[in-house]
Amino acid sequence: MYAPPLQTLIDELGRMPGIGPKSAQRIAFHLLKIPSTDARRLADAIVVVKDRVSSCARCFNVCEGDLCEFCEDGRRDGSSVCVVEDVRDVVAVERTGEFRGLYHVLGGAISPIEGIGPDQLRVSELLERIEAESISEVILAMNPNIEGEATAMYLARLISPLGVSVTKIASGLPVGLQIAAPRFAEPLILVLAKLVQRANPIGWPAWADKY
Amino acid sequence: MRLGSIELTNFRNYETLSLDLAPTTTVVIGDNGTGKTNLVEGIAWLALGASFRGASDEAMVRVGQDKAFIRGEGVRQDRALQVEVELSRVGRNRVLVNRQRLQRVADLGDALQVTVFAPDDLKLVKGGPANRRILIDRALGSLAARNRATQQEVDRVLRQRNTLLKQAHGRRTAEIESTLDVWDQKLSTSGDALIASRVALIKRLAEPLTLAYDTLARGRSDVSMTYRASSHDLPLLAALAAVRDDDIRRGTTTVGPHRDEVALAIGSMPARTHASQGEQRSLALSLRLAIHRLLIETLGATPLLILDDVFSELDDHRARALLSEIPVGQVLMTTASSLPATAEPERVLSVAELVGEGAS
Ligand SMILES: Nc1ncnc2c1ncn2[C@@H]1O[C@H](COP(=O)(O)OP(=O)(O)O)[C@@H](O)[C@H]1O
Ligand SMILES: [Mg+2]
Ligand SMILES: [Zn+2]
Repeated sequence: MYAPPLQTLIDELGRMPGIGPKSAQRIAFHLLKIPSTDARRLADAIVVVKDRVSSCARCFNVCEGDLCEFCEDGRRDGSSVCVVEDVRDVVAVERTGEFRGLYHVLGGAISPIEGIGPDQLRVSELLERIEAESISEVILAMNPNIEGEATAMYLARLISPLGVSVTKIASGLPVGLQIAAPRFAEPLILVLAKLVQRANPIGWPAWADKY
Repeated sequence: MRLGSIELTNFRNYETLSLDLAPTTTVVIGDNGTGKTNLVEGIAWLALGASFRGASDEAMVRVGQDKAFIRGEGVRQDRALQVEVELSRVGRNRVLVNRQRLQRVADLGDALQVTVFAPDDLKLVKGGPANRRILIDRALGSLAARNRATQQEVDRVLRQRNTLLKQAHGRRTAEIESTLDVWDQKLSTSGDALIASRVALIKRLAEPLTLAYDTLARGRSDVSMTYRASSHDLPLLAALAAVRDDDIRRGTTTVGPHRDEVALAIGSMPARTHASQGEQRSLALSLRLAIHRLLIETLGATPLLILDDVFSELDDHRARALLSEIPVGQVLMTTASSLPATAEPERVLSVAELVGEGAS
């Protein structure tokens, strides 16, 4: 046990994802050492994020204010929507510079093991948008793992009958190939798929041919 | 492929152990309970990424310790091969091949292959279908990484589907039905692939199995291995649709590769219930031998063959026949007493010689 304020900091840091007790201690002692202006800047950044950053009323991307930068940008093509699991995927797709439409952040993937079904995701919100915003094209960019593929399949079955064009871009990559940051998008995925094929003796699983 | 040395630290009963394997046959002698099977388990872990006898990772760690280490060094396709494994009582295992960390433990199978014969192999014949499915699936996994990926996918999808069925509590709501549709689709794609690969392997094993059995059992007998799918040869998607009511009621998946049987017969009689103990033992040995031969033929490399205390269970004829059937390659034998005269070991060691100070 350390002095109570220090112990409190260690405990709080230890509650962050991916930070164990050892890392929490290391960060806390680092913070003790740095100049107080640096420490204050960090504390302010945390407070400002909590105050100002919320989720976009339309697509659930992170934003300052009501709508995110993409939903607010009149030059984006509102008839095309890219559905992603997580806000981090928005950044990944943007980085390709190829997509000019809007986003829809589902908030995860279907996974009964984790207690996540369609009701826990923003699926009904997506359906409402398709109806209200006359969306004609939906691109499903789920993560290339079993749950991501199941989610894409679920959504495709739900949306296709509405007369909207649906494309899946994350399926067909070998399952298990869950690289550190498995966040792909259309142009990226083709490049990646080729790289993967070369680097990875596993090759394509037989079932991938179906897609 | 050749394993040159193995080191164990805080693994099972060993504080430290190090063993240099001969290029041909090494024999390790030790009384019962001294750790022969534990040593085999350590070596086999390097190939399987799991205990060959299905024990938990936690059980691998020496009582009172947090972590166990296994290190193997050898040569594979003329290149040095080093495999290091750190097993934690809690938390993730670390696996390094030539100092590169593996993303998936399952990919160990590409570095090293072993075939283990153990006294409780009898359960391959006498035990439930799970024993035989594991035997076939492990062989498939050694043959191609793609097979391991398929097996993992089947396992994961099954866990998801079963969890969903439990959450349904017997209700058939629209949401449960439509989510089940998706898991059915995923299970059928990977499940059909797994079933097809099992059936193909079983077909390829027919001849080597018969040859091995006839040598061990002295004579000609009609041994057979047949795949009996719980889906009764329907495509899995149709089979799953047919049992959906049942599955929802029971809260579990009642058809699929996890429910299939690999039936063994001698003549027209099921080996599990009708064969004598001697016939069952010969058949179990034949299964291992047949797979070992098929791996050699397909991989173009000979897996390390481990015979863990098997001679105590065999009569003189079977022991000699087994030794004569073993393909040329690197062999490790363990025994509590003596070996058949034809074993011809290059190196004989006792467990006591291998352990570091303080091991029990
Ligand atoms: N995790 C463990 N920590 C310490 N001892 C263990 C552990 N697991 C098994 N043992 C000991 O190992 C011994 C059995 O070793 P085993 O390899 O099965 O012997 P055998 O030489 O008969 O094959 C038992 O005495 C058991 O208590
Ligand atoms: Mg033993
Ligand atoms: Zn938005």
